[in-house]
Amino acid sequence: MSDAEDDGFAAFVAARGTSLLRVAYLACGDEKEAEDLLQTALERTYQHWDRVRYDNPEPYVRRIIVNASISRARRRAIMRIIPMHTPPESAARETDVDLRHVLMDTLRALPPRQRAVVVLRYWEDLSETQTAEILGCSTGTVKSQASKALAKLRAAIGPEAAEGVIGNVRA
Amino acid sequence: MSAPESDLRAPGDDLRRIMADEVERLHAPLDLVDRVLRASRKKRTNRIRLTALAAAAAAAAAAAVAVVGVVTPLSLDLGPDGPATGGSRPAGRITVSGTPGPDVTAGTTPEPPAIDDSGPPPASEPGDLGDLGDGRAFRSIRVGYLPEGLLWSNWSLDRGEEYTTSWDYKGDGNGAYCVQIYVHEGRAVQEADERVREYREEGTGKETTVGDDRTGYLVRQDVGEDGGNGTPTLFLSLGEGRRVEVMLGPGYADDLGSPEAVDRELRRIAAGLSAVG
Repeated sequence: MSDAEDDGFAAFVAARGTSLLRVAYLACGDEKEAEDLLQTALERTYQHWDRVRYDNPEPYVRRIIVNASISRARRRAIMRIIPMHTPPESAARETDVDLRHVLMDTLRALPPRQRAVVVLRYWEDLSETQTAEILGCSTGTVKSQASKALAKLRAAIGPEAAEGVIGNVRA
Repeated sequence: MSAPESDLRAPGDDLRRIMADEVERLHAPLDLVDRVLRASRKKRTNRIRLTALAAAAAAAAAAAVAVVGVVTPLSLDLGPDGPATGGSRPAGRITVSGTPGPDVTAGTTPEPPAIDDSGPPPASEPGDLGDLGDGRAFRSIRVGYLPEGLLWSNWSLDRGEEYTTSWDYKGDGNGAYCVQIYVHEGRAVQEADERVREYREEGTGKETTVGDDRTGYLVRQDVGEDGGNGTPTLFLSLGEGRRVEVMLGPGYADDLGSPEAVDRELRRIAAGLSAVG
């Protein structure tokens, strides 16, 4: 790869690395694994950079991250449920923090594909069609997986909190 | 899992904000680019090291002053024990007189020779293979069979020891490819063999018979990476220093229908391949 291509790759990582790391974290639920997922995805992207760079590379990397996280989770067969939680840097109301812990723990405990749907639909704000394209499934599957995932999240945090948090979220 | 109701009141909150709060502390490591580049180069360097080792071993065997045991030719099959690297491997111990050097003992994996850590030489810009006509002959490869209705795509890539071309419906290289053949020669063989070995270890793919007497390895590569069902691929050895990947485009594989039809077509294409030189 030429120096110019390396520079382009470096600029892309510098600009989008944190955003992609956050997607990876939400997809896998573990900070260390998220870094590993991101690095793996970027290595694969780098191998094909001469082709990928002409399009928007970010969806390409995101696709690898999400699908790799699903593959890994399936391989392990056991989902990592207990988080290694680090307190947030900014102060937050205690109620928010507790709610967040419950929600994130529940998110981690979702089956990998359901979790991926939640991340892509409600974090990345992708449409059902875009989510289906990334996951290689139908929009009907996205809809049903989202519905099941949201039901579990609602059940975990209780009806009143659910009203405030995901009450307006439609699968 | 549930929390006390009093702790769960967060009017106006939403799922996305909670996720945003959760990931706010995360930032990509500052050395991420370096890590990626180092890892990519290391993999390539490892390939170069292994190739250098194989070349050194072959040279040592040729120049051996004393060879104890019988030199056993290895076949280049893709059998379940893993792909062979080519050449001959001594069944016994080789001792090279003169300059001190590593003893090469069959059945063990000697340490690779020390090399400088400056990374691989800069890769030259890839060229193409020129006008291939119908694409049935490119460099040392002859393509005996292609599915009906496919035209040479007018696209090819030449990286020296790796080269490839493809066929599609229109012959203009602008649409999705239907068939692609990727050739690895010389030092590049190692990389293809490593991938086949990894697939075997993962339990992905299967051995298959190609034509009357050849063995290949069928696998779907990159499953899920593009959101699809992956790329149906058949790895085939075409002589000691040459491996070939026959790939079907995911869309074309869908057109063919069942997995059996896909595998059958891959085997037919592979069976028609031959090499000259």
